[in-house]
Amino acid sequence: MPEIRVTPLGAGQDVGRSCILVSIAGKNVMLDCGMHMGFNDDRRFPDFSYITQNGRLTDFLDCVIISHFHLDHCGALPYFSEMVGYDGPIYMTHPTQAICPILLEDYRKIAVDKKGEANFFTSQMIKDCMKKVVAVHLHQTVQVDDELEIKAYYAGHVLGAAMFQIKVGSESVVYTGDYNMTPDRHLGAAWIDKCRPNLLITESTYATTIRDSKRCRERDFLKKVHETVERGGKVLIPVFALGRAQELCILLETFWERMNLKVPIYFSTGLTEKANHYYKLFIPWTNQKIRKTFVQRNMFEFKHIKAFDRAFADNPGPMVVFATPGMLHAGQSLQIFRKWAGNEKNMGTVGHKILSGQRKLEMEGRQVLEVKMQVEYMSFSAHADAKGIMQLVGQAEPESVLLVHGEAKKMEFLKQKIEQELRVNCYMPANGETVTLPTSPSIPVGISLGLLKREMAQGLLPEAKKPRLLHGTLIMKDSNFRLVSSEQALKELGLAEHQLRFTCRVHLHDTRKEQETALRVYSHLKSVLKDHCVQHLPDGSVTVESVLLQAAAPSEDPGTKVLLVSWTYQDEELGSFLTSLLKKGLPQAPS
Amino acid sequence: MDPGDDWLVESLRLYQDFYAFDLSGATRVLEWIDDKVFVAGYESLKKNEILHLKLPLRLSVKENKGLFPERDFKVRHGGFSDRSIFDLKHVPHTRLLVTSGLPGCYLQVWQVAEDSDVIKAVSTIAVHEKEESLWPRVAVFSTLAPGVLHGARLRSLQVVDLESRKTTYTSDVSDSEELSSLQVLDADTFAFCCASGRLGLVDTRQKWAPLENRSPGPGSGGERWCAEVGSWGQGPGPSIASLGSDGRLCLLDPRDLCHPVSSVQCPVSVPSPDPELLRVTWAPGLKNCLAISGFDGTVQVYDATSWDGTRSQDGTRSQVEPLFTHRGHIFLDGNGMDPAPLVTTHTWHPCRPRTLLSATNDASLHVWDWVDLCAPR
Repeated sequence: MPEIRVTPLGAGQDVGRSCILVSIAGKNVMLDCGMHMGFNDDRRFPDFSYITQNGRLTDFLDCVIISHFHLDHCGALPYFSEMVGYDGPIYMTHPTQAICPILLEDYRKIAVDKKGEANFFTSQMIKDCMKKVVAVHLHQTVQVDDELEIKAYYAGHVLGAAMFQIKVGSESVVYTGDYNMTPDRHLGAAWIDKCRPNLLITESTYATTIRDSKRCRERDFLKKVHETVERGGKVLIPVFALGRAQELCILLETFWERMNLKVPIYFSTGLTEKANHYYKLFIPWTNQKIRKTFVQRNMFEFKHIKAFDRAFADNPGPMVVFATPGMLHAGQSLQIFRKWAGNEKNMGTVGHKILSGQRKLEMEGRQVLEVKMQVEYMSFSAHADAKGIMQLVGQAEPESVLLVHGEAKKMEFLKQKIEQELRVNCYMPANGETVTLPTSPSIPVGISLGLLKREMAQGLLPEAKKPRLLHGTLIMKDSNFRLVSSEQALKELGLAEHQLRFTCRVHLHDTRKEQETALRVYSHLKSVLKDHCVQHLPDGSVTVESVLLQAAAPSEDPGTKVLLVSWTYQDEELGSFLTSLLKKGLPQAPS
Repeated sequence: MDPGDDWLVESLRLYQDFYAFDLSGATRVLEWIDDKVFVAGYESLKKNEILHLKLPLRLSVKENKGLFPERDFKVRHGGFSDRSIFDLKHVPHTRLLVTSGLPGCYLQVWQVAEDSDVIKAVSTIAVHEKEESLWPRVAVFSTLAPGVLHGARLRSLQVVDLESRKTTYTSDVSDSEELSSLQVLDADTFAFCCASGRLGLVDTRQKWAPLENRSPGPGSGGERWCAEVGSWGQGPGPSIASLGSDGRLCLLDPRDLCHPVSSVQCPVSVPSPDPELLRVTWAPGLKNCLAISGFDGTVQVYDATSWDGTRSQDGTRSQVEPLFTHRGHIFLDGNGMDPAPLVTTHTWHPCRPRTLLSATNDASLHVWDWVDLCAPR
């Protein structure tokens, strides 16, 4: 029974560690390979033992696909490919290929150098892993092998994020990764065509939420920044360098212009610059608005936003600084934070410890820093909510939908909504649980023109809804199916044709000569079989279409005649029919 | 810079907090249970959703507000209704809801599941008089044995015990006046307002003998009226507000319903495109504050403190100015497109004094906390 099997591998119900195994028509694909940011031990990696039970990963998996550069989707990739062991192809979009190694290296540095973790992948491993990457373009059909093909679609969310269609023959699965259906300031909205996959796999982390509008989130951010600089304070914004920093830069730039503000805005050098460099490279991946304005001026070179110099942190007066890395672990943002934390006027968006409400932080050298500045935590990540999921499912028109990363009990209503409104089946497997979907793939068979023509010549016109029995030979070659006439098949295969002929003897009681018996048979059949072509040949034999009837007189009994009924294998039906008919006897001959 | 962006900059000054959501369907219902609110769709041709929404955490917490990034509604429970829903009431101390819609031949009772996120239809309550185009107003007596008060007209008013389904009270009158609102005030009293403006307070322990303003409303001209009773039993003073589709707002003292304490004219565009949507509410956290909606895409907040005895010599009503006007629905959702959105309902947050929720006919839902520009900084 053909089927598609899906197993989410990441453990736990919380966001993080996206890693899904899909088996389709004998091919095995791994979708994403994420790291769970909340754990410090092996729990942060997906449970690969599920796959390795089947032997070597490289032999088992046909390919790995990475949807975008966020660590909860690619963070475990070097561990997987270099430490667990996988040498097959890893597919991702060009921007993802460019940005992934930067984030992986950044994370490695913090984990190993700052936190002193062991059993972590090395810089060399990241490099070796990236060597296995094959980059793809949007809407480009990529042949992984003879049967498996993949195609990337625009997902929005972050630069280079893609949704992937995985296709083998007529069966296909679409994996969305993270996506959003509303365009933002630098990225467009996700889009897919009516590809009608058997299954659509989508994240459901935000499926039971109704998202606050983008405008209101931006408003909130602007308000806090504005209020702080109005009172002469400084704003520190640690960001995960890429993606969101650009968004916020564009936002501030736009509003600084509108509100005619002169307060300086800085972004720290290093990662953000690299990111801007990449954004320029990948401008086709940004949204319409940006691409249009890019022609006039380079949108990623900001008028009001300048590069930061350490010394500026000591400048008096208000300012806004975007600093990296994200969680205030180390580097520039931590330095600036220390300088400004003691002042109530200042405000910053922050990382873990502060988020949990801590107001006293222990710094290096046992120094304790008291946090007097105001702290705001803002979330700009663009994920699809319930509405977004419904929209995407409506676009792709899958037969079934599978939601990962959600709690089944808390999503019964959404499941009903999807099933009712969109008329598709909805699955919600827990991590480690396999969902099996039966499929009925259609097998296309080409029929030769000659065979078709011959069938048409048989006389009766084909009726559209009625099945029609056809004799031919099915040739299966190179995943191709063809139905041809037997003669053509023999020719192609270089075989000689053998004819099978059956002959049956029917004993008839008749005292006359065999020629007259034959005539009697002819008359009888002619009157009974009005639809068939019955002929009396000059040599005395009778034909009913291609069946041959000959009368003979056995020497032993002059009162009995033997009728030899002979037909080819193809005419079995007619032959048998005639034989049974004749066995019933002939009507009395007129005297 | 589009007008939406312009308004956003303006809003930095006008609002402390502001959230805008897009529901899957427009709602005419905003009913609270603690910090969660119910909304329900009212379309006639397709399935409607009842949603039980948890407000973003930021609106619930008092301390460390800044540390909560989530600005989204969480759908805690959801259910489907074949009928449109125009009114939804929670039965206190239970997991039951009662809804009313068209066709108005019965009320639907729902159960909010405990172990899953589903709201299921469990039973119906038949109404006294089956009306095709009127839907019965609903209110709930939250006594030990909850009773559902309902009716589309004065003569079809009754109270049904939810458990036994026995009728415990009927108005028993032949008056066919159409009702526009019902409100339970305490264990034995409820208030009604007819579409004509006729107001009444009913004691269910007696046979029908309401305290009321007999005249067909403070005016007669075919206007439609609605009303709300504010703090009940909390001392003297006007506690009943009555709003007409011509923009008239009257404040009344329950001891003398025939003579309004004040009668003002609100600066609204009249006539209201759909007078059934008119709504007037008292602020639970601000003294003498009211909000009105239903005339257009705005919600207006008024301070009625200085309105006592407001009436000019010649009997004409004096114009008042709102303390605050919420225009978000016009700028953020309408964006200058035709037709302009219409506010279908609004409600005050039970604990946050200046926070309101408002919904429009194009399925948007706003949560906003306005800045009192007149108050001392």
